[in-house]
Amino acid sequence: MKDLSELWTYRALTTNFARRELKGRYRGSAAGWLWSLANPAATLLIFTLVFSTIFQRVPPVAGNGRLESYTIYLFIGLVCWNFFNGIVTSSMGALIGAGPLLKKIRFPAFAPVIGNAMSALVQTGIEFGILVVVLAFAQNLSWAVLVVPVVFALLALFSIGLGLMVSVANVRYRDVGYLVGVAMQFLFYATAIIYPPEDIPVETASGIPARWIMGLNPLGRFVEAARDALWYGVLPSLTLMLALTAIAVLTFLIGWAVFQRSALDIAEDL
Amino acid sequence: MNDALATDGRDIAVTVDSVSKRFRLANERRTSLKELFVRGRSSYHDFWALRDVDLQVERGTTYGLIGHNGSGKSTLLKLMAGIHRPTSGSVEHAGRVSALLELGAGFHPELSGRDNIYLNGSILGMPKKKIDEAFDRILEFAGLGDFIDSPVKVYSSGMYARLGFSIAVHLDPEILIVDEILAVGDEDFQRRCFDYLAELRSRGVTIIFVSHSLALVQTMCDRVAWLDHGRLVAEGPAIEVVDAYVRDVNKRESTRLERTHTVTPDAGLDTSNRKGTGEIEVLGLDVIAGDDGGMAVTGEELTLRVRFRAHSPVENPVFALAFYPEHGQKVAGPNSVSMDLGVLEGDGHVDYHLDRLPLQHGHWKVSIGVTDSTYTHIYDHLDRTASLTVQTGRGPAQGGDVVLPGTWRLSTVADATLEETR
Repeated sequence: MKDLSELWTYRALTTNFARRELKGRYRGSAAGWLWSLANPAATLLIFTLVFSTIFQRVPPVAGNGRLESYTIYLFIGLVCWNFFNGIVTSSMGALIGAGPLLKKIRFPAFAPVIGNAMSALVQTGIEFGILVVVLAFAQNLSWAVLVVPVVFALLALFSIGLGLMVSVANVRYRDVGYLVGVAMQFLFYATAIIYPPEDIPVETASGIPARWIMGLNPLGRFVEAARDALWYGVLPSLTLMLALTAIAVLTFLIGWAVFQRSALDIAEDL
Repeated sequence: MNDALATDGRDIAVTVDSVSKRFRLANERRTSLKELFVRGRSSYHDFWALRDVDLQVERGTTYGLIGHNGSGKSTLLKLMAGIHRPTSGSVEHAGRVSALLELGAGFHPELSGRDNIYLNGSILGMPKKKIDEAFDRILEFAGLGDFIDSPVKVYSSGMYARLGFSIAVHLDPEILIVDEILAVGDEDFQRRCFDYLAELRSRGVTIIFVSHSLALVQTMCDRVAWLDHGRLVAEGPAIEVVDAYVRDVNKRESTRLERTHTVTPDAGLDTSNRKGTGEIEVLGLDVIAGDDGGMAVTGEELTLRVRFRAHSPVENPVFALAFYPEHGQKVAGPNSVSMDLGVLEGDGHVDYHLDRLPLQHGHWKVSIGVTDSTYTHIYDHLDRTASLTVQTGRGPAQGGDVVLPGTWRLSTVADATLEETR
């Protein structure tokens, strides 16, 4: 664990990887950075269509008592999800992509992975910015919004921890990527993102304690905290914040340990 | 273990201690979990790229690694650069290591040269401050002009290398590990590379260098390690070890080919380009070398024996040989006109002897001709009929197809003035 200090030592290299990813991302395409808005916008549109118009779902009562836009309720969950999914999924590609470099030059393998995660931050930052503006317009913005960056920081730690684990696994067994893809699909619906957690029955008809099981999902807790601050306009409870901190730090440390151990010989597997 | 001082008092920059490297090669690598479950664990076989290699690189010296392809040179280099870990043994450095195994590593094709400088520099280990300081000099050295703002994907391979090299030049390494990759590029670029290496040498940087160009290794390196199939065969001063390596390669080549080239019209003389009236018939060409390897070696003794049969008495014929290099025009065409051979009848042979073969290493073609003393009547002529393989000789390498027997002598202005006052 002592090598955690390498994170600081190599911060310049890590940010350079992040910068490289960001600058190169939309070079050469006509709309450039606008594309980063296209995906969330499209997703929102589709889900709104499905949930508001077709299913006609109404969200739980918002902080200001009046806001009834399911779209905005969704967006909060989606921002969290895109952040988490983005980091975990792209970690694998980032490590494999850095393969040719790692075979020729000695530098820490975590740099491209974490750098890549940092570039995801920018995308999330944009989405968050849009969200804040929209909430302001809807007059549902409270001071609790200031805690959201903290929540996102913890979510980042959590996601990076998982990302580090799957990226090394993927180097050795290349179909881990597909497994992660499937798992993400599953996780998306298993986490209360497109529906409020209150919709989950405490017990299903056959007696399974559904709400309790779903409650074990750590990602759900992060979304809950984000919703507390952004939708309900209240600060997440101290218990919740402590739990999130513990989950995030623990996942990161485990991921880091697993990664650093495998990273020693990684040049041979890439 | 920094500032390692060996027990004999030398200042050692890199220590390779009983290093072995094994690569586990799966017989059929399971690259997916599905395969793992369906087919079970694959069997492995071990490939030992390096075995018990011991060497020490003294600070400030230039150290070369030579050996055949697959001898483990690159693996050793990567171990010294810290890219792989040794399976057993250890590699230690006293100083900052910079590995130049590829130029322009990390360049993102869509980004401009300017943008790429930072990433490449930081991958090579340059702190940001250093890159900032050197930025303008890097731009100037690369000499790309306005292209520096174009995306790197439009660069020619030469420009790419120039930019990568320009960044590397400003690295300020203490220990530099260089792979042959610097041999890429045009004449101007190559010269710049060597100027750079020479400058580093004068600054006392320790350089470890892999090359297939033995001439280069002899010129640039102080000491050389020779690797063969993962083992250290020899280690010592550059010229000695390279010579030993060359002799070994020569010896292997001669056991691979035949010991003496005995070429007869049936067994090897290419008679497709034959002309002549036939009173004297060339039967074969023997290559007799002084060396016990039986191979022609530059700078060594060689005799070429033309065996002939005179079907009817011929008065004072002239025998001639012509030598053609693999790619090129005739380099020499000695003939026996200065000798009066008298009347030739029946079988015999004519020897052409060279004390020191001036032909350089390569595959030569030899023409054999027999004419009358006026060169007009051709008895037999076989154009480029025999193959002669010449091996590299000892000593420093030269360019060109032949070695000239000249000597060098220096006079300076000081000498001249001394002469005048006499």
